[in-house]
Amino acid sequence: MLFNDYAFLLVFLPASLVIYRFADPHPQWRIGVLVILSFVFYSYWNPLFIILLALSITVNWLAARGYLATKRGGFITGSIVANLAVLGFFKYANFVSDNLAYLFERPLWHFNIALPLGISFFTFHHIMYLVDLRRGKAPDYSLGRYALYISFFPQSIAGPLARWSEVMHQFGRQAYAPGWQRQFAVGVTFIVIGLIEKTWLADPLGRLLDPIYAQAIHGPVTNGNSWPALGFAFQVLFDFAGYCDVAIGVGLLFGVQLPYNFNAPLRSTNLQDFWQRWHITLMTFLRDYVFIPLSNVKIGRKRYRLVQHFSAMLLTMALCGLWHGASWTFVLWGALHGCALVIVSLWRRYGPRLPALLGWALTAIFVLLTCVIFRAGSMEAAMNIYRGLAELPDLERTLRSVPIIIAALCAFLLPASQDIVAGLTERPKTAIAAVLGLAAVAILVELGDRDAYEFVYFQF
Amino acid sequence: MNLSTSSSDSQAWGRWLATFLCMAALGACMIFALVILVDPYDSGRFGFIGIKGISDESPRTANASRGRDPQFSAAVFGNSTGQLLKPTELSQATGVRFVQLTIPGTGPREQIVQLRWFVRHHARADALVIVTDSVWCTDDPTLPIFNPFPFWLYSDSPIEYLGQLFSSRALGRLVRRVELGLGLRTPSAPDGYWNYELLGHGEFRPAPPPNEPADTAAVAETQFPAIEQLAGFIANVPNIPVVLVMPPMIASDLPRPGSSGAARLAACKGALARLVAGRPHSNFLDFRVDDPLTRDRKNFLDPVHYRAPVARRMEQRIAESLRVGNAGPTTF
Repeated sequence: MLFNDYAFLLVFLPASLVIYRFADPHPQWRIGVLVILSFVFYSYWNPLFIILLALSITVNWLAARGYLATKRGGFITGSIVANLAVLGFFKYANFVSDNLAYLFERPLWHFNIALPLGISFFTFHHIMYLVDLRRGKAPDYSLGRYALYISFFPQSIAGPLARWSEVMHQFGRQAYAPGWQRQFAVGVTFIVIGLIEKTWLADPLGRLLDPIYAQAIHGPVTNGNSWPALGFAFQVLFDFAGYCDVAIGVGLLFGVQLPYNFNAPLRSTNLQDFWQRWHITLMTFLRDYVFIPLSNVKIGRKRYRLVQHFSAMLLTMALCGLWHGASWTFVLWGALHGCALVIVSLWRRYGPRLPALLGWALTAIFVLLTCVIFRAGSMEAAMNIYRGLAELPDLERTLRSVPIIIAALCAFLLPASQDIVAGLTERPKTAIAAVLGLAAVAILVELGDRDAYEFVYFQF
Repeated sequence: MNLSTSSSDSQAWGRWLATFLCMAALGACMIFALVILVDPYDSGRFGFIGIKGISDESPRTANASRGRDPQFSAAVFGNSTGQLLKPTELSQATGVRFVQLTIPGTGPREQIVQLRWFVRHHARADALVIVTDSVWCTDDPTLPIFNPFPFWLYSDSPIEYLGQLFSSRALGRLVRRVELGLGLRTPSAPDGYWNYELLGHGEFRPAPPPNEPADTAAVAETQFPAIEQLAGFIANVPNIPVVLVMPPMIASDLPRPGSSGAARLAACKGALARLVAGRPHSNFLDFRVDDPLTRDRKNFLDPVHYRAPVARRMEQRIAESLRVGNAGPTTF
């Protein structure tokens, strides 16, 4: 069930709202009902995977209880290792096998594995809680509340990666408290804006770019077709930002405010700024749970601390790439961003100050170019796209690229979607409600063609 | 974002929500009303305004209108390998009005749906010409489809059809039909004929199939699930003459005699011939043969798409079959 298909928008979501309306006056039911709804949502893809989800929740919760009862760090360490092992098996077993086979020049094992949806996200949720529990920052939670933290359906599949401290206290709160109408209006606006980003900005780009990337797999990309391929950065931005906005909107309909994940990242004037505005919750996770520990661990002499700091930055970004997929192209993409972040850090420390416009242009060009590696699937395909950039597109091809130009203008000029939503819902203007209502119908009509694209981030 | 409000604001936000829901509901109702009035695909289910015909280049959707057109009483089914059979030529040779209902890139499942649709709207059809190319010889019981096909458009359920009309594609067709009704558009060809020779340049390399020796036992056990389904359909329309046509291909690409491909093809042809054996005014025409016509590359646009002279010869044989059944010739 995708956020952009009828099964979710016309059946699951309305039914869940009705069910939760009845549960809302009873505090003891709220969390339980949301957990059941979340499991129903999750089971839509593959009912067997709810066993994995339930096991994952139970084992991690028991590990937390074990740690609290005994104060033995082994519970936490063991649990984190187990989480990473499960993630590693499902996501990276074949990658490791293929690489070893290449190294030893003989075929090794190959698993026929289906990646459980959202496993990367719920693994990170577990880690955030367990690490903070060990640091003495996180309290003890009941199984129901912990289960909802991991499985809460608006965020369980592809984020935002909410920290326990951001959402735990909101679970079980009355959704229909005085003033709920405003919260609902904001939620509805987020959903419509998110669907607009997905349906009217990202999907048309997908239809334009997919054939170009398919061509790149098989050979050179000619006739200036490589230029539109750079638009993948806009596609993935509006695809994932759209998904997150729908998730935030749906969360609000159940009384939970999820964290924002994007803040107009393509308006950034340097790469550090960009990574503070793109997939914010993942980058905050990587900063707090990977980069800072790697950067602070005492190895070597003090004068090498700067080298350690930058090495940690590079390694964190390479891991960020690997998290996106079991492929060397993702690692390369992450490592390139890591290198660029090191260069930007050094430049900001020792170099002259760049004009904002030049900084923005350099950042945008770098992001657009590296996104080709992210999308292409292989270095050969990416190189075919890069080589094709030597040829300029003709006028006809440029005219066909209008959706890319529109998406680019939106990415470069518009504020973050949460700021747009805040502007639209500052006052209860019925004209805005009417326009959004008609936009919702128009989106449903568009989605009625039944060939809606999956959200790009589902594969991660 | 601060979400707190006063009680008077709450009422205003309540009205905001009501407006949103009402406009969404109103918009949805208007769209449903429009599609019910216009019937974007001219499927005959709704369309109370009564616009005649369609303006639709895609036979996948346009055939819903053509297949129920009462001016025709006979039809040609198949994929692009039957596309060049001209309805006007067939009509002239047989005296019954033919419509072209072939759809490029389709297989048995889609074509059986077309057959059912035509017969549902023509209980007293005069002839069914089914171009059964190699896709009918599959042994895959799932009868896979290789291109999207709007099965809902030919469904028995008006609800299933209505459920699919809430889409931008259907609204696009709706606008075209309204424009057609207002005289702003020209209608599509009612008989569905389209000449693919206008597109192709006809340069191709023959690719003879592998010459594997025939495994007689394996071929003898081969099932043809698509042909079994076709047999079920034909049995339900005993009074309608049926001509099955195995279309030609360039002789150089035919399976070599004695190969497993040739044995399979022969078994498939045998199964097709048995379907219409003894049926009045019906026949199985086998044009997939080594013949002076199929040896001449000038007669082909590519290995399986023949040109007009071949199509004219095939039309003559189809007309003869409808007259005398399998007493007439069974090939070129």
